[in-house]
Amino acid sequence: MSNAPAADPVGAVAAAPSVGVSTSGASRTALAGIKVLDLSGLAGQYCGKQFADLGADVILVEPLAGSSVRRDGPFLDDKAHIEFSLPFTYFNAGKRGIALDLERSEGQRIFRRLARNADLVIETEKPGTMARRGIDYAALSAANPQLVMTSVTPFGQSGPYAQYVAEDIVALALGGLLYLGGYPDTPPTAAHGNQAYLAAAQFASVVSMMALFAVNSGRGQHIDVSIQECVVMGMETAIQFYDLEKTVRKRASGQPIMAGVGVFACADGEIYLMSGGIASTRFWENMVNWLIDEGIADARQLLESKWKSHDYLATGEAKEIFSGLFAPFAKKHTKVHLYQTGQSRRIPICPINTPRDILANRQLDHRGFFVQQHHTPSGQSLTVPGAPYKLSATPWRQARPAPRLGEHTTDILTELGYDLAAQAALLKSGAIN
Amino acid sequence: MNRLPLEGIRVADFTWIGAGSFTTKLLADHGADVIKIESHGRMDSLRSSRPYQGGIPGINRSGYFADRNSSKRSVTLNMKTAEGQELARRLIATSDVVANNFTPGTMEKFGLGYEAVREIKQDIVYIAMSMQGASGPEHKYLGYGLTMGALTGLQFLSGLPDREPAGTGTNFSDHIPNPCHAAFAVLAALHHRRRTGEGQYIDLGQTEPTIALLGPTMAQFSANGDVAERSGNERLPLSPHGIYPCRGDDRWIAISAWDDRSWIALTTVLGNPSWSQGAEFSDAVGRWAGRAMIEAELAAATRDWDAETLMTTLQRAGVAAGVVRTAADIVDEDPQLRHRNHWVTLAHPEMGNTVYNAPPFRIEGAPQAPRFAAPLLGQHTDDVCADVFGLSQAEIAKLREAGALT
Repeated sequence: MSNAPAADPVGAVAAAPSVGVSTSGASRTALAGIKVLDLSGLAGQYCGKQFADLGADVILVEPLAGSSVRRDGPFLDDKAHIEFSLPFTYFNAGKRGIALDLERSEGQRIFRRLARNADLVIETEKPGTMARRGIDYAALSAANPQLVMTSVTPFGQSGPYAQYVAEDIVALALGGLLYLGGYPDTPPTAAHGNQAYLAAAQFASVVSMMALFAVNSGRGQHIDVSIQECVVMGMETAIQFYDLEKTVRKRASGQPIMAGVGVFACADGEIYLMSGGIASTRFWENMVNWLIDEGIADARQLLESKWKSHDYLATGEAKEIFSGLFAPFAKKHTKVHLYQTGQSRRIPICPINTPRDILANRQLDHRGFFVQQHHTPSGQSLTVPGAPYKLSATPWRQARPAPRLGEHTTDILTELGYDLAAQAALLKSGAIN
Repeated sequence: MNRLPLEGIRVADFTWIGAGSFTTKLLADHGADVIKIESHGRMDSLRSSRPYQGGIPGINRSGYFADRNSSKRSVTLNMKTAEGQELARRLIATSDVVANNFTPGTMEKFGLGYEAVREIKQDIVYIAMSMQGASGPEHKYLGYGLTMGALTGLQFLSGLPDREPAGTGTNFSDHIPNPCHAAFAVLAALHHRRRTGEGQYIDLGQTEPTIALLGPTMAQFSANGDVAERSGNERLPLSPHGIYPCRGDDRWIAISAWDDRSWIALTTVLGNPSWSQGAEFSDAVGRWAGRAMIEAELAAATRDWDAETLMTTLQRAGVAAGVVRTAADIVDEDPQLRHRNHWVTLAHPEMGNTVYNAPPFRIEGAPQAPRFAAPLLGQHTDDVCADVFGLSQAEIAKLREAGALT
């Protein structure tokens, strides 16, 4: 556990809580009482998860054949099955699930009834699809003016690319980030793990929460998130280098920038060292003294004054001398040893962690970062990332497992007032499974 | 919405450099009054980071700083003086949020740890964004954007299998995962405070949001025992899927045409070359099995195309394709970003007119964001002294003389 000060469990609570919202007891959550309908795919499901994990009631609305994310690997036990997708299982933890055919009028009617009581709808359909089904923002907000609806699409709701199709790699390309990734002598390489889609889901969370916060002072809103624009936000300084200095930044992995900085092989993988560069004046001596203390007498030359110059560090000669001293030393030690020993000497060095290293990391263990998530179809318990933020008064909570396809269809329809006969009729019509 | 969603919220902003400043920028651009506290002795070090307007260095000329500090007000408070600390406490007393991204212990040294701040403002939402969280065996380790990429696994997982790990080529966690998670947590806490009157402390370790995003990859190891390897642009079980060369210097296109419909559309656009017509490529299973040939042949086939023409042609045929745009392309050429008014030109007292990102979403009817250019160091010291602290010109002059406002 962290040293985060415990919040006063009572506090000087002044404002009256909203009707029907419990704010007492150990199960308090920040977003209790917020109702979310999540119709999204990979560009939105993490948004729904963020809401669910802070206490919102999130219903995942899937087509009868299941969310497209159910078809994405990797799969638990390498079993290619819609109930075994690890992305689906992870991104939909904490949600209830209903399977509805939104192409049929009965399905649309159910959705409109759900939306009447909802605070937020998250959707990732092609622009125009929701309107064609009669469940766009105009239609839904007419019955529920406080509703916030967040639409996430590759390029936005209108404009020359609005009907373009995209996948993660296409959005990374058109958003400019892809050009910065990889090695100068090979094609640009995309980041691992659907980072364009996830960037959109994260910005969708931020703006949805802002709009819900503002609802108190008036109406809900329709929000139009562009995945391409979300990727552009990750361009770091590249936009400003172009705007201010007319320099176009390029990909540069695989080549050391200067002596004391870069990737070095060690006994069991690689480490990243940052003892030169922006940190050079502060950490260089620590680095050199470490090598000297390890019995590398030749390292004394690195204390000469020329090594204090950025320009010199960037020369081929400097890189070669430094590497000649550090690389053989690094090769003899493990990632964890170099990390812990280097950091104890105030040197910015760290392991290039694999998933295995991350699961074994003592700091994350101290934080209780990984949690167990139940996987209903297999009965297994999965170790997955837990709280990405620790809120002292309303902690992130480990919520229910991801829904099986249509798992809560009956419960949700019953809550909406559909009796057995009505549900049987819906099943017969093909609107539900 | 004819007003911005966070009007009326005030943030006492002690953040600096990357992820912290980007978090409070998200709040500032949407109407919060974010007051950034610096001093000449301890200014945000991004102010002395390239690029500079016109290539000329200066503490008010950095584009890196400007992009992360739009819509904020800057005050200089010398926290080494009793008066400076007192003004910081008065600012906090009128604030809804206190934000910092220092190493744990730094705010406590200023007497501004959570418990102390709570004495000043009982219902404060206090966010601390340290590298690895508030406590633990490695919580005081040194970290930067690039070391974070290494710790989170993103660097190991991105790049070619037979080359050194590449990552994204940027400090990715600083720009999207950490600011977005931090802003979401702050907004959720503000929502809770509005309902209950209760503030709270938020401890965000800057490695954790990125690892959270990699959940499926983590579970692939924890459940299946399978450590994911770098795969370049290959994504199992999709082919073709990748980056292909086009005409010109370092021009590329992304294409993903792995399903039957896209594959037929792609090969039709290319004129049904003989290599693509084999029966073994008629389904996705066969294309994955034959991906070595498909990827090589497709790379040869795109080489003479103009990237923009090929994208337009493929998209017209319904194929997911996009030019690998450079920074120059997205600022000057991209018609979609232009349509959405993504680039906002703002006037800055020293830098003149420069380009800022609009937020990556549009709230129907809301006023333009960002609202105004990044501040000069101490640009709003007098304004804040007057409108937040209620000080007279004479009192401000006296504090300045005492060295509290430098």
